[in-house]
Amino acid sequence: MKSVRVWLTVLLCGVLWISVSSCFNASPAYISTSKTRNIHLIVKMNKGDYWNTLKLGAEAAAKEFNVNLTFKAPDSESDIEEQVVMVEDSIQEKADVIILAASSYMGLAQVVDQAAYSRIPVISVDAEVGSAKVRTYVGSNGYEAGQKSAERLIQLLQGYGEIGIINFTNSSLTPDSGKTGSIDYGARDADEREKGFLNYAARFPNVKVVQIAYTSSSTSDAENLTREMLNKYPQLRGIATLNEIASQGAARVIQGLDRDSVKMIAFDSSPSMMESLQDDTVQATVIQNPFSNGYLAVKYAVEALEGMDIPERVDTGTKLIDLENMLWPENQKLLFPFVR
Amino acid sequence: MNKPRGYFFPLRPGSRKSGRLRLSSKLRSIQLIIMLTFMAVTAAVAVIVSVMLYGKFANTAEENANLNMQQIIEQVNYNLELYVKGMGSIFATAEKQITSTPSIDSPLLYERMDTLMSSREDLVSVAVFTPQGQYVVGTPGQTMRMNTGLESQSWFTTAKHTSEISYSAPHIQNLFKGRYTWVVSISKLIQYRENGELRTGVLLLDFNFRTIDELSKQVKLGKRGYAYILDPLGNIVYHPQQQLIYAGLKYENVEPVLEYAYRSYLDESTGEKRFITVRTLAQTGWKIVGVAYYDEIVTTKRDLNQFLAWFLGVVLVCVIAVSVFLSWLIASPIRKLERTVKQVAEGDLNTPINVSGAYEVEQLSRRFNMMLQRIRQLMEQIIYEQETKRKGELEVLQSQINPHFLYNTLNSVIRLAERGKTDEVVTMIQSLSRFFRISLSKGKNIITIQEELDHIRHYLVIQSFRFRNKFRYEITAQEEVLECQTIKLILQPIVENALYHGIEMMPDEGLISITAGLQDGLIIIRVSDNGLGMSKETVNGILSGSVKSTSGSGVGVRNVHERIGLYYGREYGLAFQSELEEGTVVTIVFPARPAGEAMDEQKEETNL
Repeated sequence: MKSVRVWLTVLLCGVLWISVSSCFNASPAYISTSKTRNIHLIVKMNKGDYWNTLKLGAEAAAKEFNVNLTFKAPDSESDIEEQVVMVEDSIQEKADVIILAASSYMGLAQVVDQAAYSRIPVISVDAEVGSAKVRTYVGSNGYEAGQKSAERLIQLLQGYGEIGIINFTNSSLTPDSGKTGSIDYGARDADEREKGFLNYAARFPNVKVVQIAYTSSSTSDAENLTREMLNKYPQLRGIATLNEIASQGAARVIQGLDRDSVKMIAFDSSPSMMESLQDDTVQATVIQNPFSNGYLAVKYAVEALEGMDIPERVDTGTKLIDLENMLWPENQKLLFPFVR
Repeated sequence: MNKPRGYFFPLRPGSRKSGRLRLSSKLRSIQLIIMLTFMAVTAAVAVIVSVMLYGKFANTAEENANLNMQQIIEQVNYNLELYVKGMGSIFATAEKQITSTPSIDSPLLYERMDTLMSSREDLVSVAVFTPQGQYVVGTPGQTMRMNTGLESQSWFTTAKHTSEISYSAPHIQNLFKGRYTWVVSISKLIQYRENGELRTGVLLLDFNFRTIDELSKQVKLGKRGYAYILDPLGNIVYHPQQQLIYAGLKYENVEPVLEYAYRSYLDESTGEKRFITVRTLAQTGWKIVGVAYYDEIVTTKRDLNQFLAWFLGVVLVCVIAVSVFLSWLIASPIRKLERTVKQVAEGDLNTPINVSGAYEVEQLSRRFNMMLQRIRQLMEQIIYEQETKRKGELEVLQSQINPHFLYNTLNSVIRLAERGKTDEVVTMIQSLSRFFRISLSKGKNIITIQEELDHIRHYLVIQSFRFRNKFRYEITAQEEVLECQTIKLILQPIVENALYHGIEMMPDEGLISITAGLQDGLIIIRVSDNGLGMSKETVNGILSGSVKSTSGSGVGVRNVHERIGLYYGREYGLAFQSELEEGTVVTIVFPARPAGEAMDEQKEETNL
């Protein structure tokens, strides 16, 4: 009887203590920043304003959520092997999360599976990768972006004429033969944009896509390709470029050209592209949201580590920018990263 | 029987049948009541005091934090005001230089503009436009872009509408070649001369965010708190997470901020409690907004919280310990008392009650002890009174012996007188007279053994006339015995017994011998006869009174035994030894007391 009473008293005290302490220490509603997390961000290339802005976004999030961000990128967008090696290194270094913009849809699938096997969550940014183990994809809809580009170009051409496309990182790296490859080694975003463009253009019988050129990741290469294309198809009335490097190269060639007849729809919003837009060298550009991509990728990475539910796919959207709407306040904010 | 009693006396710790009742009596124990009450009261006081202290401190902390934050924002406001004033004065300088120059395209103005530009790092560009949007003059070395759309830009339109200096919202400077930069534009309609002709134009100064940034970045409102700047339309001029807000990833609830120029309030629109402080810059109408997170402001509050939680915990533990101890201290003597009383109730009146503890309990135990003593006394008195009563009865019995004997004796005397035996009649009457004298002994109960032996001798003399030639007798006594005390008339019933039952039926002559002796301080008187003797059952039955002889003298022997027991104690009395056809020996044993020592009477006095 006595011992029962003692135990009852102890129990009572315990319950009292718990209830008192639970009143005082309610858990905070925001993500905990007390722990430093190692997140590795591996993108396609270490050059270009696009990736820079994406990195800025990732850094903003890293600062906010107390993340130790490691940024890695190969020199060239087509250097798939190096990117694979980088992912492997990150697995070795026991990153908490790997955020990956895959240069190749299938080329990085295996290494992503490997990361998942090591219990490292992988988040895709910008370009998807062919693995079911990826936790989430943060980026824009490439197909839609391609369609927007095609729609504006065909509108500018009044629905007829020859069109050339300059794309990047093709599956086989040899132009015009990519369609037969049984394994898709191209970057997913490039493929999607191209598909979107071609599918839209196919609705117009008078519009003919005469060539799809694939550039590696250098402006000069893109310039050469553009020149070749213009020489080969003198009747060319429109050019669509599907990434930043290609756009910069093509814009430079067209600017040097005296003929006003070639219309161009570019991709992404580097400052030089804005200049070309203002000069009317380029009539419009399809922009993505690299800052948001970087920020959200890191944010979801942290949330995944916290064990929260994260969406399977996050579309950060695309927008078509032309001379008219580039100075609208809301577009200014998208186009020009607020760099200090 | 148990149940109704339990019902009528619920406080009696009697009914141990049902567990529920036992538990409730456990719950009603003094210890538990004291413990719980003490605990409850102290805990309540501790909690109330803590809560009040907490409220008071928390309020003060909150107020201080709030005040502190307001001061910081005030400071930022002041610095920015200075900065904006500086911008205004630069603008005024530029304006003065332009208006005072005789011709707008003079090289001197170019030079001055150049100096002005290089003097300030945050100055991006200076330019004058015609009201139609044509470029007139500007920072040396800059070339206009195409398609600027400046006519529709806000700095241009507002300058054309008012004559005041206007500050634009942050926007992209797209007028000149080079980098696209985010700037704040200051513009005003001014007068300038071109080739001696007075014209109007729009003067534009673009400032980048460097200084505003630096001024605002210093603001630290806790770990996560920050400050941001809004223009009067709600556009964000500066925000530490400007890019995130521009990208639509973050959201700042600016509507309540815009409504007031000077305000502090608590905002919960983001789900988190945040303190918002708003101040407004006089010149530009910009609003400086400080945001501090409530849970950070109240870190002191949380610390206090934790401390109080610990404090409460420790206090509660102490209170529990103290109350357990205290209640034990109070309850244990009472419980001990209860146990003792229970023992007493069970019949052990000699239980000593010595409970120490609280004064009241001690008093209670003492009073109880006294009560117990009194009870014992009263009981002894009752016993004594009972015994005296019985003694009286015995004395009555004792006196009843006499008439029977007298009648027999007088018959014998008559017979002797009829036969003319005068001598024998005289002897007989003499003996009778002495016999009665000793029997009465002036009402005394105690006589000497000498007297007792005389008494029995007279009796035997008388009886020897009745039972002529039927028996002989001898009486021997030690000298020292003779002066000892005895209760009177103890021998006569025994001898009478021996005569009537032992010798009367005998065919031969019987012998009755009486010896009195002293042994170990005890007087031992033996009355032996050689009569018929008694069976074992009869011997055993005599003293318990189960054997009744027809003449009634059996009672007499028992009376002797009981009287000795009453006077001298139960261990003294008669003992019988008898053998059929052999005779009987009756032994009387009682303590020897010299004559003149009326102990019994004295003892009786004190007992009363």
